[in-house]
Amino acid sequence: MRRIIEALVQFRNPILYFVLLGLSLLFLNSRSHFHQYYLEKYSLYFSQSFYNISSDIGNYFHLRKINDKLLKENKILKYFQLKSNGISLYPDAIKAKKRFSFKVIDANVIKNSYLNQRNILIIDKGHEDGITSEMGVISDQGIIGVVKSVSKNYSSVISILNQDLKINVRLKNSSAFGSLSWKGTNPNDFQIDDVVINSSIVKEDTIITGGMSSFFPLGIPLGKISNYKANTKSGYYKINASLFEDPSQVYYVYVIENKDIEEIKKLKKDILK
Amino acid sequence: MNSNILTLIISFFIIVLVQVFLFNNMFIFGFINPMIYLLFLVVYRFDDDQTLFILLSFVLGFCIDFLSQSGGAHTISSLTIGFLRPLLIKYSFGVNSEAPSSFQNDLRRRNKYFFLALLILIHHLLYFTIVYFNWSATFLILKNTIITSVFSLILIALISRFYKKLNDT
Repeated sequence: MRRIIEALVQFRNPILYFVLLGLSLLFLNSRSHFHQYYLEKYSLYFSQSFYNISSDIGNYFHLRKINDKLLKENKILKYFQLKSNGISLYPDAIKAKKRFSFKVIDANVIKNSYLNQRNILIIDKGHEDGITSEMGVISDQGIIGVVKSVSKNYSSVISILNQDLKINVRLKNSSAFGSLSWKGTNPNDFQIDDVVINSSIVKEDTIITGGMSSFFPLGIPLGKISNYKANTKSGYYKINASLFEDPSQVYYVYVIENKDIEEIKKLKKDILK
Repeated sequence: MNSNILTLIISFFIIVLVQVFLFNNMFIFGFINPMIYLLFLVVYRFDDDQTLFILLSFVLGFCIDFLSQSGGAHTISSLTIGFLRPLLIKYSFGVNSEAPSSFQNDLRRRNKYFFLALLILIHHLLYFTIVYFNWSATFLILKNTIITSVFSLILIALISRFYKKLNDT
């Protein structure tokens, strides 16, 4: 305390000067509109840049929160998008009330392999979050895979980069059905088999999910046809395709739950009997 | 000591009144308004209390501002001069023991006028900068500073000689 007082006494002249300078600036500010305008301009400039910096810093720390919020919003939007995909493909049915049996759960990829022939992803949601096996997993621009096994908080997903996984797809403009599978080399090289030769195909046509797999709803855009060849002997096209999104680079995914899957399974069983 | 304080107070009031009622109405060549109230900041004893001096220079500037209905330019510039005066004294008279106890008691004319000119120039530069407060008026600020400084310098030099005689008696 004594030191503070000593310092105050020692620097009394500069302190007095700056206090009085502040006073006279206040005086100037209140007396003259011209100076008021300019002082306000400068103070605005300084405070603005200060607020900019502080809001930048604040934003950085809020990024995680904002991300979560956006993800939640995306989840809802994804649901509506999936729902509307089917309607837009069959516009006649727009008035008819259609059941949409899919539900969206958001998740993060915590491990992603893409160098093997049979790749597996792990996501951070498990059966506590309502995930069961054989659910479809999509990202914002395509399909990621199908849930294989589920633990309490985590699930493993058979990646689309897995030669065993075949996905039912169709083409947007020609409604030809086929099955998409990975070639096993480049994570962007895919092929579509089982497209019958009498259906018309256009290059660069968009590939969408076919809606017959009970994992994925109809109409999720996946990728496009890069080139195709008609194989007259077998009666099928040989189509090469590429995806919109590199499946090795995803972090945010959505798990799609089909509420009717038990019903469909039961029906399938009945047929086999 | 008492008479010194008395002279200080009287000269303070006289200077303020003369500045406000005489020199503020004087427009040499239509725009020059010499500021002789700086005389007070010059004749204040060099070895007297510095803190009081800063306060006095603030009050002086405030009075001039108040009476001439200007913003706060006189206050800020004269306060700053009050704060900077010890530095100016050191710079113009030297740091050694030759430093005089007051402006009037020193006989070195060159040092005195250098000190006076420096003080007036800094004051006027600050004053006009605050009055115009605009980058685009830089030329105007410099022109006004230099021309007004010349007239202020002449007037203050003249009156300070007169002042010295008064102070001696």
